[in-house]
Formats: sequence, structure tokens, C-alpha cells
Amino acid sequence: MGLTPEELAQKIKDAQQRQSQKPGSSDLEKEGMDSGLAMAARAATDMVASIIVGAFLGYWLDKWLDTSPLFMIVFLFFGFASGFFAIYRLQTGRPFAPWLKKKDKAQGSEDGAAKGEEDKQD
Amino acid sequence: MENPLEQFVVRPLIHLNAGGYDLSFTQSSLIMMIGIALITAMMVLSMRPKALVPGRWQSLTETLHDFIFGMVSENLGEETRKFFPFVFSIFVLVLMGNLLGLVPYSFAYTSHISVTAALALFVFFVSIAVGFAYHGLHFFSTFVPPGLPFLMKIVIVPIEVVSFLSRPFSLAVRLAANMTAGHTMLKIFGGFCISLGIILGVFPMLVNVALLGLELLVAFIQAYVFAVLTCLYIKFSIELH
Repeated sequence: MGLTPEELAQKIKDAQQRQSQKPGSSDLEKEGMDSGLAMAARAATDMVASIIVGAFLGYWLDKWLDTSPLFMIVFLFFGFASGFFAIYRLQTGRPFAPWLKKKDKAQGSEDGAAKGEEDKQD
Repeated sequence: MENPLEQFVVRPLIHLNAGGYDLSFTQSSLIMMIGIALITAMMVLSMRPKALVPGRWQSLTETLHDFIFGMVSENLGEETRKFFPFVFSIFVLVLMGNLLGLVPYSFAYTSHISVTAALALFVFFVSIAVGFAYHGLHFFSTFVPPGLPFLMKIVIVPIEVVSFLSRPFSLAVRLAANMTAGHTMLKIFGGFCISLGIILGVFPMLVNVALLGLELLVAFIQAYVFAVLTCLYIKFSIELH
């Protein structure tokens, strides 16, 4: 390697600069996973799972209290609602629901590995 | 054509029966042990030089570590160090299962709901335990979002309970379903290869090459999603809302 230490230092500096301009390779991987694919991977199952769990919970309550089919129907709707909540939370990256004031939401916005990064990116 | 689902049959290698329970050592257990041995060997051996300027293996291990550490600290902040080993172990175990499953003649243990459900329930109970450890009985207020009028609570609380209980279910089903679907696709196109003969069989083979690439991506993403959700559930238990 015919590099003097100065040249090498310059090369390292250049490389570091290039690295700092674009997101680092591991960051890049993470961005990709966070923004689109990881969220897509979660959306469908989250929704379906909520509905199934809701229905199952209702069925189980009915069996226990002998009120078939009251709770099954009620909890099926709760399941639908919680499925939609799940999608909403995934989208916004916030654990809160829409009825809350802006102030409260700002607090929660840090979480959701999914969203925080994306906001920065945009 | 061979049954594309046959690859998921769990075959016992060593028969064991303990008190009426089938505890046979299966090929699934074997691959799982190989995965754990591989990752342990990688961690121990690659970090042995402890070089300031890492070599290939060491930098691979460090990248893996930093990748997960970054994700955990983004979510858990100051509590990162307490939970990092847990999240990292889960991530690596799932990742190994997904990747080793792609090796021919191997077996994807993460394609079985019994494995993923065990992992998911473990995560679920850990998150509950963390919640009780941090907040005691106050943990139950996680079901009651703040700032709600009483009438809304009647509706929202059951919804929150359902969404809470659906966590382990969706965690387990997502991973198992993704792996099963991918491997079934591979097998189906592999079957086309055989039945179409040498000339036409090239086309399904090309599809399979592309699918393998996709499956590699899915293997990483699913392991990552599993780890992210583990983190988020612990975070929700710490922060309650």
C-alpha cells in the first residue's frame, strides 16, 4: 500500500464525511425496515388478531356466563374497533387514541420505533 | 408433485416419553440447538480479539449488536441496559430460525406456531411482569387512557383489553405465518421445476432464486419486527400509556 500516513488520514476523513452525509449502512437498513416493510408486516396481522381475540373472548365469556351469543357479538365489535386502533397507532406511532388533546399526543410521539425515524427522514 | 406442506412435519430423532408427555428430540430441536450453538460461537469467537479496529467477524458482530442496541435505546431510553440482553436474545433466536430454515434440508423452527407462540407468550408475560414490577397494581390503569369521560371508558376499556390480549396472538401468528407462506411458495415453485422438465423448468427456478432473495429479506424483517414489538410492549408496560 503506497500511502503515506497523511494520505491515509485524508482518505479516512473523506470517507467519514461521506458516511455522515448519507445515513450509515446500518441506519439505512433500519430506515427501510422501520418505515415501510416492518409496518406493512405488522398491519395485517395486528388487525386480524384483534378481531379473532375479540371474538374468542366473547365466546369464552358467553360460555362462562351462559349468555350466548350476547358477548360474542359485542366483543366482535370491540375486536373490530381495537383492530382499527391498532392500525391507527401503527400509522401515527402513538399509543394514544384520536380523542386526546394535541398536548398529550406530543408526549407519546417519541415511541413507535416505526414513526419517529420516518419523521426525521421527511 | 410432493405435498408442499410436508416440509413442516416435525420428525422425532430420539424418542423420549416422560410421564405421558412426548418429549422427543426432534429435527426442530436439533436445528434450534445448532442455531444457538452457531450464534454463541459467533459471539464468543468473533469478539475474542477485542481489537480496536475490528476484523470482519468482529465488525459483523458489533454491527448486529449496535443495530439492536440502537433500536432498544430508541424505545426504552434509560432502561435500555436492563432489557437489551432479553431483546437481543429473542432477536437472534428468531433470526437464526429464519435463516437456518432457508438452508436446504434444514427446518425452519420459526414456522411452527408452537415455537413462536411460546416466544410470544414469554414476551407477553415478561411485559406484564415488568408492568407490575414498575407500577404494582397501578399497572391496570394501562387499560384506561387518560382524559376520557366516564361513558367513553365503558367502550374504550374493553377495546384496550382486547388489543392487549391480542398482542401475543398477533406476534406469534405473524412470524409463523410469514415463514410458512415463504417456505410453501419455495416448495411449490421447486415442484414446478421438476414437473416441467429440464428446459421449461428453468423459469420456475428463476422465480425461486428471486423468492429466496425475498425470503432472506423477510427473515430479517420478521426477526426485527419481533424484536421491535418486544421492545414496544416493555415500553408500554413502563410508561403505561
